Amino acid sequence: MNKTLSQKLLGTWNTKTIVGVAIGAALFGVLMNYGGIKVTTNTSLTSAYVIPAIVGALFGPLPAGLAAGLGNVVADLLGGWGFWFDWSLGNFVAGYFAGLVGLFGANVEEGVFTVKHAVIYAILCIIGCALGFGVVTPFLTYMWYSSELTITWIQAWAAIVSDATVLIVVGIPLLFALAKRNARGTNLSKED
Amino acid sequence: MDNKFFITLVPGNTFIDKLTGKTKVRIFLLLIIILTATWDIRVILPILLLSIIMLISIKPDVKKNVAIIIFVILMNLFNLFLTWIIKPDYGLEMVGGSTVLFKFTDFYIVTAETMWYFLVRLLKFLASFLVSLTFIQSITPSELAAGLHSIKIPYKICMIVSLAFRYIPDITRDFTNIKISMQTRGLELDSRKSSILTRLKQYVLILIPLIITSFDRVGNIANAMDLRGFGKNKDKTYYCEHEDTKGDKMLVPFIIFLILLYIALVVYKAVYKAPFEVWAPWIQ
Amino acid sequence: MSAVIEFKDFSFRYKEQSEFTLHDINLTINKGEKVLILGPSGSGKTTLGNCINGLIPFSLNGEIKGSCKVCGLETRDASIFKISEHVGTVQQDTNAQFVGLTVGEDIAFSLENDMTPRNIMLQKVDESATIVGMEKFLLSVPYNISGGQKQKVALAGILHNDVEILFFDEPLAALDPAMGMSAVDLIDKVYREKEKTVLIIEHRLEDVLYRHVDRIILINEGRIILDTTPDELLRSDVLKVNGIREPLYISALKNAGVVFDENDILSNVEKLDIDRYKDKIVSDFHKVNIKENIEKKEKFIELKDVSYYYGDFPALKNITFDICKGEKIAVVGKNGAGKSTLAQLLCGILRPTKGEILINGENYLKYSIKELSAFVGYVMQNPNQMLVKDIIKDEIEVALKLNDFSPELIEERVESTLKMAGLYPMRNWPVSVLSYGQKKRVTIAAILALRPDVIILDEPTAGQDYNHYTEIMNFITDLNEKYGITILFVTHDMHLAIEYTDRAIVFTDGEMIGDDAVYSILSNDDIIERASLKKTSLVTIAKKAGLDPKQYIHYFIKKEREAN
Ligand SMILES: Nc1ncnc2c1ncn2[C@@H]1O[C@H](COP(=O)(O)OP(=O)(O)OP(=O)(O)O)[C@@H](O)[C@H]1O
Ligand SMILES: Nc1ncnc2c1ncn2[C@@H]1O[C@H](COP(=O)(O)OP(=O)(O)OP(=O)(O)O)[C@@H](O)[C@H]1O
Ligand SMILES: [Mg+2]
Ligand SMILES: [Mg+2]
Repeated sequence: MNKTLSQKLLGTWNTKTIVGVAIGAALFGVLMNYGGIKVTTNTSLTSAYVIPAIVGALFGPLPAGLAAGLGNVVADLLGGWGFWFDWSLGNFVAGYFAGLVGLFGANVEEGVFTVKHAVIYAILCIIGCALGFGVVTPFLTYMWYSSELTITWIQAWAAIVSDATVLIVVGIPLLFALAKRNARGTNLSKED
Repeated sequence: MDNKFFITLVPGNTFIDKLTGKTKVRIFLLLIIILTATWDIRVILPILLLSIIMLISIKPDVKKNVAIIIFVILMNLFNLFLTWIIKPDYGLEMVGGSTVLFKFTDFYIVTAETMWYFLVRLLKFLASFLVSLTFIQSITPSELAAGLHSIKIPYKICMIVSLAFRYIPDITRDFTNIKISMQTRGLELDSRKSSILTRLKQYVLILIPLIITSFDRVGNIANAMDLRGFGKNKDKTYYCEHEDTKGDKMLVPFIIFLILLYIALVVYKAVYKAPFEVWAPWIQ
Repeated sequence: MSAVIEFKDFSFRYKEQSEFTLHDINLTINKGEKVLILGPSGSGKTTLGNCINGLIPFSLNGEIKGSCKVCGLETRDASIFKISEHVGTVQQDTNAQFVGLTVGEDIAFSLENDMTPRNIMLQKVDESATIVGMEKFLLSVPYNISGGQKQKVALAGILHNDVEILFFDEPLAALDPAMGMSAVDLIDKVYREKEKTVLIIEHRLEDVLYRHVDRIILINEGRIILDTTPDELLRSDVLKVNGIREPLYISALKNAGVVFDENDILSNVEKLDIDRYKDKIVSDFHKVNIKENIEKKEKFIELKDVSYYYGDFPALKNITFDICKGEKIAVVGKNGAGKSTLAQLLCGILRPTKGEILINGENYLKYSIKELSAFVGYVMQNPNQMLVKDIIKDEIEVALKLNDFSPELIEERVESTLKMAGLYPMRNWPVSVLSYGQKKRVTIAAILALRPDVIILDEPTAGQDYNHYTEIMNFITDLNEKYGITILFVTHDMHLAIEYTDRAIVFTDGEMIGDDAVYSILSNDDIIERASLKKTSLVTIAKKAGLDPKQYIHYFIKKEREAN
C-alpha cells in the first residue's frame, strides 16, 4: 500500500487507531506508576517509553505521540502528584519521534524489525528526547512557572538520559522480541 | 485494586463531587492558569486556602493524601535547595533586592529576598498541587471526558481518555496474572534478591505478554464501537453529563470572577511593567 | 414470511489471506426465525456474522463475490451505520466490548453516538436495562459485575435501537453453567417478546438447545454443510464428523445402542420420550460393572483448615482437603468462589492467613515461590499471557534458566519435555504460527519443564471447540497416566469434569461445599444449586428410566472412558 507522506506523518486514523492510542495511553500510565524506578521528581527509569514505539509501529507517529502525551496525563491522574502539562507535551514530542520508526519500513506487527531499524530507532529516540525534554519541556516550564532554568535543565538532562536509555536498552530488545513473536513463519517443516 | 489509584471511577456525593464535569474542568483549568500566570502572594494565598477547603470538603482518604502531600513538599524543598546551591542570590533577579541575613561564604549567602521567593514559589506549587489533587479525586473519567468535550476538545480525543481509564483495571489485572505466572516459573522480583539490571531485564519477560494481550483487544473493542455507531456523526452527546445542579448555577459567578481575575492579572502585568517578577511587601 | 437476510452465491476472502474464507454461500433467513450457526473453530462462523453486521467490508477488508442483502440493503454498498440500525451484535468477548465506564454509559453508547438528547437517552437506557434486568446496576463499574451481567449489558446496548436482527457470537463462552442458562433464557425472552430475528453462533449445542431453536446451520471450511431442524441434525451423524460435541443425553442413548427415528423429539431432553427406550437403557446399564476398586493413594498436599483474607474480605474459609499423587481433580464453583485464590495459595504466591498447607507432610512455608515451582505448576487460562519467547524451544527453556539449571541439564530437560508434549518435531517453530490449542500445549510444556508433581490448569478448555478441547484434554490425561502427574482443573465445564476427572471439589463464596466423586457431586441437587452448576441431562434420563442418577452417571463415565 502506498501511503502519502501526510498519512505517514499523521498516521491513519480510524476507530482502531483511537482504541490503540487509548490502550497505549493506559499502558503508559500504568507503567509510569508501577513499571519503573524513580530517579528525580519528574523522571524515572520507566519501561513506559516502549509504548510509543509500539503504537508508532502499529498506527504511526502522531498516535504514538498522543499515546505518550495523554499517557502522561493518565499517569498524573492515577498517581495523584498534580499535573505536569509541560512534561506531557515533552512526552508527546518524544513519543512522536519514537513513532517515526515506522516511516523507515519497520513494522512490528508484521514482524519486520532489523538492526537497521534498531539504529534508526535509537537515533530517533535520542533526537525526540532531546527535542522534547531538552527544548519543549524546559521552554514551557520556563514560560509557565518561570522556574530557575538551571534546575529545569538538570531535570531535562536526567530525563533525556534516563528515558533515552530505557527507550534503547529495554525498547530495542522488546521490539525485536515482539517482531519475532509476530513474524509469520515461512517454510516450516517438522524435524525429527 | 481501585483504591490504589487517586482517580475514582465511582462518583462520591459531596458538593464538589456532584457538580457537572463541565464546571469541574472549567474551575480547575482557570485556577491552574491563574496560578501559573502569577507570582503575587496576594493572589496565591487565597487560592491556596480555597484549595485546602476544597480538598477537605471532598472527604478524601486522609492517609493517602497526607503521604503524597508530604512527598510533594519534600520534593519541592529539595528543588529549592538545589536552586539555592546554584544561585544563592536568586532573589536579586526575581524580587529585586539582596538583604543578607546569613553568610556561609561570600557566594553562599541567605538573603531575605531569596527566601521570600522560595516561600512564594513553594506556596504557588502547593496551591496548584492541591487544586489538582482535589480535581483528580472528585472527577470520574467519564465526567472528565464530558468536561473536556464541553471546552471544545474533539470528542474523539475525549474518547481516548475515557477508554484509557476503562481498560486500566483490565491491564493491571493482566499485569498481576502475568507476574504470578512468571513467578511460578522462577522469576525473582524481590529487590533484595536481584540487582536493578537483572530486574530491568526480567521486566521484559512480563512486558512482552502484557503488551501483546493488551493490544490484542484493540480489534475487538474497535469493532464493538463501530457496530454501535462510533464516529457516525461529527459530535456526540454524553450520558453522564447531567443537567446543571444548583451548585453549578451557584458557581457561574465564581467562574466569571476567575476569568475577570485572570484578565486583570494579564492587563496589570502589561500596563505596570513591574521590574521584578515577584512582588514583596518591602520592595517598591 | 419475508427474508431479512439473503446470501446469493456469496464468497469472501480476507485481504490478508490467499484463499477464500467463505465459499458459495446461499442462505435465506426469514423474519422472526431463531437460527443457530454451528461449526468447528476456524470454519468461518464469525466471518459470516461479520458479513451480516457490516463489519465486512467496513473495517475488515477483502474481496467479495456474489451478493449479501440485509433488510434489503446490499451490505457492500451500505454503510455500517445504516446496517447497524437493523442488526444488533453481541460479540464473543463481552469484556472487551464493554466500552463505557459504567453500565449506564455502556448501554447508552449507541445513543450517544446518535446524538440523542440526554433526557430521551435516560429513558431509553432505563427501558432496555429493565428488559435485561440490569436497571439496579446502572452506576456499577465493569470490573464489579460478572461476565453474565456484562453480557446482559451488551444486549441492552443494542435493544433500544429497535433492530430487526439480533446476532450473538458465542454468547456462552465465558459464562458458568447457571449464567449460561439464564443467558439462553434471556435471549429467548427477547426473541419472543420483541419478535426479533435471532442468530446465535455457539459451540455449546446442548446449552443453546435448552430453549427452542428453529433452524441449525452447520458450517465447515467456509461452506454450508447442512441447514435443517435441530431434531433432524441430532438424529444424523454429521456432528461428530464435523467436530461438534453432541449433547450428553444423545451420547448416552447412542452408547446404549439406541437408534432414533422420526418420532423422537431430540432437541430437548425433557420432551424426549425415554419410555420407548427404557428397556435398552436399563439393560445396558446393568451390563457395565460400576464397582470401583478403591486403591489407597499416597497423600501429597494437605490443606488443614486454611483461610485466606484479602484485607478483611475472606476469599477462602476453613478449607480442608488432601491432594494425593496421581489424582485428577476438578475444582468447580461459580465466579468469585475463590478458585483462583486457591490456586495461588498452592503455588505459594499467596500464603494462608490461617491454617496450614503441608507438602509431603511438611509445612510449605519453608519453601520460596521458586522452590515450590518444583512441586506445583500453574497454567493460566489465556496462553498469550504466558508466552514470552518467539521460538517454542526457548519458551521451554525460560523456567529452567530462571531456576539456574546447568546447561547440560537444560538441554536434556528441554528435549525430554518437548517429546512428552509431542512438540519435538516443531521445536524450532515460531510461536506465532501455532493454533490456540497448540499454544496451550506449549504453555503446559513450559510448566512441565520443571517437572512439578502437580499441575493446576485454569479453565483449560474455555472457548475451545470440541476438536481442540479433546486434543488438549487427551494430552493432559496422557501426562497423568504416563507420568503420574497430579492434575487439578479449575473449571466451569461439567462435560470436562465428567469425562476427565475422578473427583470434584466444589466451592461457593469461599466455602468448600463438596468433595466427592464426580458422579456423586453431579447427582446431588443441593450442591448443584448452591454452586450454580447445571443439572446434567444424564440425571433427567436416569430419573425417567427409573435408575439411580448417581449410579447412572457413574455408568456413563465408565462407558465413555472405555470407548476412548
Ligand atoms: N480479520 C481477519 N483477517 C484475516 N483472516 C481472518 C480474519 N478473521 C478471521 N480470519 C480467518 O478466517 C477463518 C475463519 O475465521 P472465523 O473467525 O470466521 O472462524 P469461526 O468459525 O468464527 O471460529 P471460532 O469458532 O474459533 O470463533 C480463519 O482461518 C481465520 O484465520
Ligand atoms: N487481589 C484481590 N483483592 C481483593 N479481593 C480479591 C482479590 N482477588 C480476588 N478477590 C476476591 O476474592 C474472591 C475470590 O476470587 P477468586 O479470583 O479466587 O474467584 P474465582 O473462583 O477464581 O472466580 P472466577 O471464576 O471468576 O475466576 C472474589 O470475591 C474476589 O472479588
Ligand atoms: Mg468466531
Ligand atoms: Mg479465577
